[in-house]
Amino acid sequence: MEGVVIAGFVRSPMTPANKGELARVRPDEVARQVVRGLVDRTGVDVDDVEDLLLGCSSPEAEQGLNLARMVGFLADLPISMAAVTINRFCGSSMQAIHTAAGAVQLNAGECFICGGVESMTRVPIWGFNPMPHPGLHRSYSEAYTSMGITAENVARRYGVGRDEQEAFAVASHRKAAAAQEAGRFADEIVPIVDGDRQISVDGCIRADTNLEALAALRPVFLEGGSVTAGTSSPLTDGASAVLVCSERYARERGLDMQARIRSVAVSGCSPEIMGMGPVASTNKALQRAGLTIEDMDVIELNEAFASQAIAVIKELGIDEAKLNLDGGAVALGHPLGASGARITGKAASLLKRDGGRYALATMCIGGGQGIATVLEAI
Amino acid sequence: MCATAAAGAEAESGISRVAVIGAGLMGSGIAAHLANAGAEVLLLDIVPADLPEGASRSLLAEGALAKLLKSDPAAFMHRRNARRVTPGNIEDHLDRLAEVDWVIEAVVERLDVKHEIYARIDAARKPGCIVSSNTSTIPLTQLLEGASDDFARDFMITHFFNPPRYMRLLELVTGDRTDPAKAEAVRAFADVRLGKGVVPANDTPGFIANRIGGFWLQCSMVEAIDAGLSIEVADAVLGRPMGAPKTGVFALLDLVGLDTVRYVGRSLMDGLPPDDAFRAVHREPELVTRLIDTGYVGRKGKGGFYRLNTEGGRRVKEAIDLATGEYHPAARPRLDSVAAAKRGGLRALVESPDAGGVYAWRVLSRTLSYAASLVPTIAPDVTAVDEAMRLGYNWKKGPFELIDDLGAAWFAERLEADGQSVPPLLAAAAADGAAVGATGGGVTTGGASSAADAAETAANATGGGGATVVGGTFYRTVDGVLEYRTVDGSFAPVERRPGVLLLADVKRRGERVAGNSSASLWDIGDGVLCLEFHGFANAFDDGTLKMVGTAIETVLMEGFKGLVLYNDGDNYSVGANIGLGLFAANISLWPPIQELVEGGQQAYRFLKYAPFPVVAAPAGMALGGGCESLLHSDAIQAHAESYIGLPEAGLGLLPAWGGSKEMLLRHTRNPNRVNGPMPPIAGAFETISMAKISRSAEEARELLFLGEGDRVTMNRDRLLADAKATVLELVEGYAPPEEPTFNVPGASAKSALEIFVNEFVNSGRATEYDGVVSGHIATVLSGGDTDLTEEISEERMLELEREGFLALIREPRTLARVEHMLETGKPLRN
Repeated sequence: MEGVVIAGFVRSPMTPANKGELARVRPDEVARQVVRGLVDRTGVDVDDVEDLLLGCSSPEAEQGLNLARMVGFLADLPISMAAVTINRFCGSSMQAIHTAAGAVQLNAGECFICGGVESMTRVPIWGFNPMPHPGLHRSYSEAYTSMGITAENVARRYGVGRDEQEAFAVASHRKAAAAQEAGRFADEIVPIVDGDRQISVDGCIRADTNLEALAALRPVFLEGGSVTAGTSSPLTDGASAVLVCSERYARERGLDMQARIRSVAVSGCSPEIMGMGPVASTNKALQRAGLTIEDMDVIELNEAFASQAIAVIKELGIDEAKLNLDGGAVALGHPLGASGARITGKAASLLKRDGGRYALATMCIGGGQGIATVLEAI
Repeated sequence: MCATAAAGAEAESGISRVAVIGAGLMGSGIAAHLANAGAEVLLLDIVPADLPEGASRSLLAEGALAKLLKSDPAAFMHRRNARRVTPGNIEDHLDRLAEVDWVIEAVVERLDVKHEIYARIDAARKPGCIVSSNTSTIPLTQLLEGASDDFARDFMITHFFNPPRYMRLLELVTGDRTDPAKAEAVRAFADVRLGKGVVPANDTPGFIANRIGGFWLQCSMVEAIDAGLSIEVADAVLGRPMGAPKTGVFALLDLVGLDTVRYVGRSLMDGLPPDDAFRAVHREPELVTRLIDTGYVGRKGKGGFYRLNTEGGRRVKEAIDLATGEYHPAARPRLDSVAAAKRGGLRALVESPDAGGVYAWRVLSRTLSYAASLVPTIAPDVTAVDEAMRLGYNWKKGPFELIDDLGAAWFAERLEADGQSVPPLLAAAAADGAAVGATGGGVTTGGASSAADAAETAANATGGGGATVVGGTFYRTVDGVLEYRTVDGSFAPVERRPGVLLLADVKRRGERVAGNSSASLWDIGDGVLCLEFHGFANAFDDGTLKMVGTAIETVLMEGFKGLVLYNDGDNYSVGANIGLGLFAANISLWPPIQELVEGGQQAYRFLKYAPFPVVAAPAGMALGGGCESLLHSDAIQAHAESYIGLPEAGLGLLPAWGGSKEMLLRHTRNPNRVNGPMPPIAGAFETISMAKISRSAEEARELLFLGEGDRVTMNRDRLLADAKATVLELVEGYAPPEEPTFNVPGASAKSALEIFVNEFVNSGRATEYDGVVSGHIATVLSGGDTDLTEEISEERMLELEREGFLALIREPRTLARVEHMLETGKPLRN
């Protein structure tokens, strides 16, 4: 079958919702600049791009209509290029990559721009008009479990203590701060221009956080619980994009290939412990690749909450030395629609940067799902 | 701010940009309040000599602005008002004075410093720019030493009281050379825009309020020490019984700050004439010196005469023993004199033989005769003194009103018997009894020009034609007009400024149109009727509702043009009388409760759809049923200090006099709202279920209690006239509102709200029972069992309110909340 490669990864800086620098910028505008940045940096011929696939978990208001099509217009992409907005909540933009990879193998195009965006400032997490099905709410209220409660559920069921979560969060901030300090994000960040402002620095990382500071926080979701704002990924604004194409096309055009997509998977789990979603999807993807978790050299596991990340690490037997080398979502932030393409692109670029053979990118999804991608070095 | 009157005042005064120099407590507080009034404010202070490297040169003003945003009570009426204040420093930004219309100097009270800054202001200001000082101690003549005629023409003293947003007094002192037009510009701006009671004061030490208030505080302190009284007894006697704030004297000293009291005392000593009575009472007790030296300067320090002991995790209010200096848990003294005052008024207080009565006489006799000795030295007439003490020290009555309560002749006699001197002004009043009697019918005498006493005065005015009085008074009512005794012994009418209308004056002028024990109707002229709520805290009961019906009938039957809902009380209304409801609920007497709910809904429906304009004019608290009366009016003319909200959820209830429905309507019609069926429901739900209460009219606008057409009045005394003007504006072409219909999603909206409430309950931000109460509120706001495609009527919404209310009032946990509130005045979290 036709090989599918990732040949470019960029993202916007990620800044805290409401108080960060991107709060005042429309999400479609952030997406435009990121998509434009990907095109410019990869040098891809836009006339060859079949489709623009953008993930978004609350596609309404400024993220509404067919967001991807609007971004296509905004970014001056050819009218002939198609565009689709994809929603699998937190897994949306990783799904965009999967969809594109599948299309390549179906011979339904050879080059795709895949990404995602979320302004959690400008479109709230439940959207502006939350209207759950009353019957489902009555008969199976788990379907609507709030994310914080799922994190508490996982902590309780999998015995993840508060201390452990806080140590994990401190480590995530340390790694992210070190990467930022060393300039390791420079290659991936597309500065966002807003009037005469240029926003180029991640805003969520707290280099100086420590166990003492985190221990002082109160649980935010459950009285007597263990999950605090410090051990949750912050509400974040941001966008990401990767170039997905057939290996043949990339070689012909001399594109900078970072990794090959080896296998993918999605899976479902109980919504009240949605944070465990990566376990089943990872196992499926590994099985399809004929590999084991030990074979992985680089692992990007989205840190929706420290509690679920720790529980997944334990269940899958992940070696933490390979995990989220430049920090995870607890430190960097989690703009829902953008995170999937970010961690997949990040895993690919780390494979290339640090060497190694295989990489895993996986994440949990609200409503009880997991999604996983296994990459291999070129 | 959108009052047309305010725009008018700006045009009149020519003031829109103001600079305040000195960002201390007073300067910054004045700056904040100027911003509340809509002015653009430049707040300047010095560049500190020891400026840390890299720090802003405007550090002091910037720090003051940050502090203002955290102050409690809030200095700003809305946080965004802070944007109108630009911080700066006098080294780099003095040239910006050329852009302002008024410079207020509030720097340290040192003449040399003030002279130096005046010279710099004079060089930088634009020609004609007004300059005023907020000095509380330095005479204007000294401030102007060496000043040019130009500067003197534009100069005056504007003495604000702390905190400037809340204290209504502004003493205005002008000099011989001050341009009267400039003084009038400041007066008009301070009155209409800042909402101040502007009192003209003479250029004498301490002006009016601090001269008399300082005497009162000093005298109270030393007399208590000399008499060996406890501070609790002193405060119990000098608080409520004499009409001062319930803090009394020692708690007030703590609030002002003992160091400030020392400063004011010393500066009065510096400036007062050698024979001034203040000198006899001024001394700093050794205990006070010790308190100040050890940092016990009052509330801003570690404590003062009182302190809050938080040892052992409990907050215990402790009082100091004046003899030993040791603290003990504060006592609640019961005194015969205080009880006597409740029954028999001020004279009964000072005639009581107990220690409290003796003390009250010692302090009041000296304070009141001191005041009587100072007119016209410190103020043109007695009204200025009384107003200054009411607005500057929050006394319910000024000194001369208090003397009228005692009886001038009786007071003079008792002073003499006591070996105290009788000031000529008092002696003249005391000797003047015959003249009053001779004016015949329609004359009543006595104080009561204050709003609080309006009802009493009204009763006098209507009840007693041709009263005979022994001894004269400082105030009297002649043919419905309040008059005061001038310094030459004749009487002159108490003038109200154009645009000021007091219900107390209306009551003096005529009989009430109708009324019962809960509410009254008054003809306030020009065809406008006023519905006044009264009774305890102006709580609503069936008498109030009955009078709403009578008001509507009266307007229609007697040819009035419209109706104002207004009263002179501290609070518009704290809501329905929950005590009555609790009583009925406790004996399961449901029909009267149902009747009260239906009665309220019906009364407010009548208000809303009456064929004439209804304008509600709240000031202070407008809660629950009081708030709902606003929501059903055609327009609201709110005092800037309006605290509006629907606190029912805190009592385990929901707004059921149409308030839930009206809030949904306000959120639905909010032009800035996000599209879709949920935002209005979620907005109304948040306000009602979290029992949000505004801390100003501006915040009430943000919470949508006030809408686009509703207006704000800064000056309490102008509220009724502004409300009346609004009625008259609405009269022409008036049509009652059309009945709305509601498109709401029913169960799916309720599910969404429940999910959010669960998050609050889970996280401990709400109790499980809060969840139950919120569930009922959610049912009402989501329209019950309706569907998005259906239109439901206002009547159906009211029915949902009734169902929710009647279900909740049967809940034991609701009754526990109501009971707890009635007993403690605080909400119960159960």
